[in-house]
Amino acid sequence: MPDSLKAPSVKAALARFRRSHEFWLLAVILVLCAGLGAANPQFLTMQNLFDLLTSYAFVGILALGLLVVLIAGGIDISFTATASVAQYVALVIANAYGANWFSLFAMAIGTGVALGAVNALFVQKLRIPSIIVSVATLNIFYGLLIFVTGGKYIYSLPDWFATGIFWFEFDWGPTSSYGVNLQILILGIGFLVTWLLLNRTNIGRQVYAMGGNPDAAQRLGFHTFRLNMLVYCYMGAMAGAASLVQAQLAQSVAPTVLVGKELDVVAAVVLGGASLAGGVGTVLGTFLGLALLAVLQNGLILLGVSSYWSPLFVGLVILISVSVTAWSQRERRARRVRA
Amino acid sequence: MNRRETLRLMGGATAMSVAGLPRLSWADTPKEMVTVVKIAGIPWFNALEKGIQKGAKDFSINASMVGPANVDPAQQVKLLEDLIAKKVAVIGLVPLDVKVCEPVLKRAQAAGIKIITHEGPEQEGRDWNVELIDSVRFGEVQMERLAKDMGGKGEYVVYVGTLTTPLHNKWADAAIAYQKKNFPDMKLVADRFPGADEIDTSQRTTQDVIKAYPNLAGILGFGSNGPIGAGNAVRQQRLQKKIAIVGTVLPSQAKALINDDIIREGFLWNPTDAGYAMVAVASLVLNGKPITDGVEVPGLGKASVDVAGKQIKVDKIMRINKETVDGLIAGGL
Repeated sequence: MPDSLKAPSVKAALARFRRSHEFWLLAVILVLCAGLGAANPQFLTMQNLFDLLTSYAFVGILALGLLVVLIAGGIDISFTATASVAQYVALVIANAYGANWFSLFAMAIGTGVALGAVNALFVQKLRIPSIIVSVATLNIFYGLLIFVTGGKYIYSLPDWFATGIFWFEFDWGPTSSYGVNLQILILGIGFLVTWLLLNRTNIGRQVYAMGGNPDAAQRLGFHTFRLNMLVYCYMGAMAGAASLVQAQLAQSVAPTVLVGKELDVVAAVVLGGASLAGGVGTVLGTFLGLALLAVLQNGLILLGVSSYWSPLFVGLVILISVSVTAWSQRERRARRVRA
Repeated sequence: MNRRETLRLMGGATAMSVAGLPRLSWADTPKEMVTVVKIAGIPWFNALEKGIQKGAKDFSINASMVGPANVDPAQQVKLLEDLIAKKVAVIGLVPLDVKVCEPVLKRAQAAGIKIITHEGPEQEGRDWNVELIDSVRFGEVQMERLAKDMGGKGEYVVYVGTLTTPLHNKWADAAIAYQKKNFPDMKLVADRFPGADEIDTSQRTTQDVIKAYPNLAGILGFGSNGPIGAGNAVRQQRLQKKIAIVGTVLPSQAKALINDDIIREGFLWNPTDAGYAMVAVASLVLNGKPITDGVEVPGLGKASVDVAGKQIKVDKIMRINKETVDGLIAGGL
C-alpha cells in the first residue's frame, strides 16, 4: 500500500512499520551487520559503505525499475539486454561524435525507453503474459546487439567519462579518498525519483491499483495502456541509466556481461517484499532487499568464508529472512483469529 | 570454456606468419573438413576461423567453420548430424558438452569420418584433441611470473571464472601446486574466488579481499576479466606498488593496466593458431602420417603427443607485456 494512506500519527505509523515486511528485513540486516562488524572491524567503515554502494549501484538502479513493473502487475526480465544495448549505443555515439554527461545519459535513457515501449506494446496490445514477452525481447535485443557488434568490446571511452565524477571528496587513510561518485549519485537519484513516483503522484497510486486488480482499474476508467507504457518505459529508462553506471565502473563496454544478471535483480526486489502477483512493494523494501544481498556477499569475503561455501550461506540467509517475515505474518493472522 | 568467456576472450584475429611451410599437394580433389564451434559470430571464433582458412590454403583442404547461433549443445549435435549426412572427410569440434556430443561423434566415426577436437580433452569419440597450451604448464608459468614479482614470498589469492569452469580450475590447481612445491614462503590466503568472467564482480571481490587480507601481495586471475577488475580496484586504491597482478587477459583490454605496471604480465593463447592447428592435424591424419611424440605439426613446431590419450599439445603460450602488447594489438588481438 502506498505510504500516503498512512495513519496520521507517528505512533500508529511506527506500529504499522513494526508489523511490516520491511521491519523484519531491517532486523535481519542489523543483526547481520552487528555480527560482521564484531568479527571484522573493516566491515563497519565508511570506506566499506562507499565500496558497497558503488558496487551494487547497477543492480540497485535496475531493481528500482523492476519494482515499478512488479507493482503494476507485470514482470520484465529483458532489462539486462536493454541495458547492454543502451550502453553500446550511447558510448559508440559518444566516441564517434562526442558527447557530454547530459547527452550521454539522454541517449542511454532514450534507448532504454524505446525498448521498454516495445515490451509495453506487446504486453498491452496483444495481452501476452509479460514474462513471455520479456523473455522473447531479451533474446531479440541481445541477439541483435551481438549480431551487429560481433560481441566486440569497447575499451577506449571518452576521457571525461572514464574519469567520472567525484564530489564531496574526503581523505581516507594515507592512500585512499572517498566521495560521491557517479554510481552513488545515480543510485541516489534513482531512489528519490522512484519514491516520488510511487508515493507522491497520482500515477503512482494508479500503478498500485492496476497491479492489485487490473480489471477493476480498467472499469474505473484508468488508462491501462498509458500506465503500462509508462511502467515499462520507466524500467527501460532505469536500465539505460544503470548501464552507464556499470560501464563507468568497469571502464569498458562489454555487450556480453550484463545478460545473465537478471536473477540478482529479481532476488533483491522480491526479497524486499514486492509481490510477483502485483500491487505490493515499496522502495524501502527494495533498498533493504538490495542491502541484504550486498552485505551478505561482502561480509562473507571479509569473514574469510570459502567461496565454495558462500552460495550456501547466501541461500540460508535469504530463506531465514523470508521465513521470519512469513512467520510474523502467520502469528498476526493467528492472533486476529483468536481475538 | 563457456560462452561468456569465449565471447570475452577475443577481439579480432591475427595470422601468425608461418615461415618455410612445406606445401602439401594433392592429386585428387581436396577433402572436406568442417569445424563446429561453440557459437558463430563472436570475435574469438572469428579469429579461429581465420586460422582455419589459412590452414585450408596451406594444406589444400576444403576447410570451413560453422557454429550454432547461441550456446546450445543440442544445436551442435544437429550440425554434426548434418555433417555425417554430407559425408565430410573430417569433422572439427570445439565441444560445448562432451556428454551430449559423444553418441553423434561415435556415429560419425563409424561412418569413417575423422574427428579432431579442440578444448575437448575429455571428449569421447574423437581421433585427436589439439591444444595450444598445456593446462598444467599454463598455470605454472603464470605462478612463476607472480612469484617473481612477489620475491617468492607473501600472501596471494586466485580468481577463476566459476568454481566449476573446468579449464580455469585446472590452471588454478596447477598454479597452486607449483607454488607449494617451489615457493613455500608464499601463501594462498583464501580458497579461490569466482567471478573472474566479469569485470565488475572481480573488481568488487578485489575491494573486499584487500580489506579482509591487508597483507595481500599478489592476485592471480584466470578468466580474462579477473585481472582487469582486480587492476581497476588496485588502481583505485593506489596499491599497485604493493599488489602484483598476473593472469589471463586480452591484449587490447589489458593495455592500459599493463602499461601502468598494474598487471605485471598477461597470458593467453592465440585462437587463430588453434584453428590452424586443427587443420594441420587433420592433414596429417588424412595423409596417413604417423603421429607420435615430438611430431612436427606444420607451421607450429614440435608437438608433445599422448597417443593413448589422443592428445596433441603444441606449446604456444602468448605472453602479453609492455614489449609485446602493442604488436599483439596491431595484429588484431
